[in-house]
Amino acid sequence: MKTANQPLLSLKGITKRFGALTAVNGVDLDVCPGEIVVIIGPSGSGKSTLLRSVNFLEEIEEGTITFEGNEVGYVKNKHGRRHLDTPQKICALRSEIGMVFQHFNLFPHMTVLGNVMEGPLTVQRKSQEEARHIALDMLAKVGLSEKRDVYPATLSGGQKQRVAIARALAMRPKLMLFDEPTSALDPELIGEVFDTIRALGKEGMTMIIVTHQMGFAKEMADRVIFMEAGSFVAQGTPEDFFANQMEHDRIQSFLSRIL
Amino acid sequence: MKVLCGRVIRTILLFSCLLFLLAPLSRAEDTDQIFQDANDAMARGDLPSAITVLKKVPFSKSDDSGAFVRSRMQIARLQFALKDFSAATASTKEVLAVYPDNSEALNFLASVQKEQKPRYVVFWEDCLRFLPNLLKGAVMTITLVFCTMLISPLGGLLIALGRISRFKPFSTLCWFIIWLFRGTPLLLQLFFIYYGLPSLGITFKPFTAAILGLGLNYSAYLGEIIRGGIQSIEHGQMEAAKAIGMSYGQAMRRVIIPQTYKRLMPPIGNEFIALIKDTALVSTIAMVELMRSADQMFNAYFNVTALILAAIIYLVFTTFFTFIFEKIEHRAGIYENR
Ligand SMILES: Nc1ncnc2c1ncn2[C@@H]1O[C@H](COP(=O)(O)OP(=O)(O)OP(=O)(O)O)[C@@H](O)[C@H]1O
Ligand SMILES: [Mg+2]
Repeated sequence: MKTANQPLLSLKGITKRFGALTAVNGVDLDVCPGEIVVIIGPSGSGKSTLLRSVNFLEEIEEGTITFEGNEVGYVKNKHGRRHLDTPQKICALRSEIGMVFQHFNLFPHMTVLGNVMEGPLTVQRKSQEEARHIALDMLAKVGLSEKRDVYPATLSGGQKQRVAIARALAMRPKLMLFDEPTSALDPELIGEVFDTIRALGKEGMTMIIVTHQMGFAKEMADRVIFMEAGSFVAQGTPEDFFANQMEHDRIQSFLSRIL
Repeated sequence: MKVLCGRVIRTILLFSCLLFLLAPLSRAEDTDQIFQDANDAMARGDLPSAITVLKKVPFSKSDDSGAFVRSRMQIARLQFALKDFSAATASTKEVLAVYPDNSEALNFLASVQKEQKPRYVVFWEDCLRFLPNLLKGAVMTITLVFCTMLISPLGGLLIALGRISRFKPFSTLCWFIIWLFRGTPLLLQLFFIYYGLPSLGITFKPFTAAILGLGLNYSAYLGEIIRGGIQSIEHGQMEAAKAIGMSYGQAMRRVIIPQTYKRLMPPIGNEFIALIKDTALVSTIAMVELMRSADQMFNAYFNVTALILAAIIYLVFTTFFTFIFEKIEHRAGIYENR
């Protein structure tokens, strides 16, 4: 079933509604292994909701999610009604998809090392030594080895976000989702987080990144997608995207507002 | 002449007869007068002269009217009031010399002797007298407190998880338990369990009934507190836990609940302090604990020291627990200290 060119993640007709509001409206997206997809768009356009749907933090009403060639996450009951798969299956899927949040969401009662060890230890049931070994590796990767024994409260925002990335990486995910990873950071701290993400990209990590940092999008993205009102309005390689932005006055006005 | 002589003799005889007859009467009049004078002196507040007056009541081997005993006891009481304890003792012993078994005198002597001791000695003796029983009661109080402190956080956690559960029957049941046990007096709950349930064929030993009542009541209270604690944890924590693949249970156990410890410690500490005092209520369902022991001692001796001691023991408990909870609270929040 698995072929070299097959997308790692394939979304078809993803639709998520909150009551009368359609937050994501029939989105299709294929992400190939190693690809870096950057999604931009105005506030409330459904970017977060889309990412959260991929990680099953939101239950979608319509559409299919195919991961590594298998349609996953939803099953039909005997009345033909769709619902989320068993918690075990969902947890297994989530552990293959890392997610980084705007507000870090580190576990404040655990040390930095504890945060990063938690996934391997509790979810993958690895031994203490093994989990520790993995965690130290990941902390080295994000450049925070010396902070291993402190609590998150003592870290700067940029350091917190790097720990959050290490925590996600410790699960050895095949896909990483970033939801505005630098929006809560002071401008001078944005760089260190993007350095970390850039290094990940170089290693061939597949990533979907929601960000308002156009410089990063231009530099790192294989594809840039503009989302508005729950739909993809335009997409293309960074060169095409930013060259043709004039065709879309809405993209233009959006970009002029944030640049 | 003979007639006159006879008359005189008759008159003399008659007078002497009268005198003889009236003699005791006149003496009785004297004692009454003495007591009257003494009362007057006392009314004036002149206790020393009341004593002097009373001392005029003569001693008689056969004190039929009891005036002698009465006067000496009155003197003793006055001397006692004047804090002249040795004189009071002497006066009481005057009575005992004649009537060694006079219970009034014996009791009075005891209280005079007690009064002669410094107050702290008396208090200390009372303490030694009451303490064994009170400590036995206190052990029971502590047992009740510890059992409830073990049961109620677990029960409370279960109720809290039930309340936020999406499984309707469970959450409704937990809501009902909270509604019932927070909405009625603990005393009524204890009465119902111990005196009411037997009429439905369910009988408990007092201890079981006490633990059941306290446990359920405190589980209900802690349930609401713990639910508040869980819901006060930022939603992102649950999402982050889920995002690394944790199940709901794992996320609760490893991420959410540990973060509530520090926040929960002050309100739970408060509840446990209240619990220490609420255990006194189980004295009404035939449990002998600290309050009941103190009550028994107080009723047996009519001595307030028993109550003071019980208050001190309760204070020791509550102070100790307050201290412990502060320590735990500090420990639980160590990660927040920069
Ligand atoms: N849990 C929810 N309940 C109801 N409405 C929601 C919920 N989550 C999101 N929405 C709505 O869905 C729409 C899309 O929200 P979403 O957070 O995905 O936007 P976004 O593109 O991430 O915006 P931002 O740039 O501000 O993060 C918004 O109108 C939002 O109000
Ligand atoms: Mg968002």
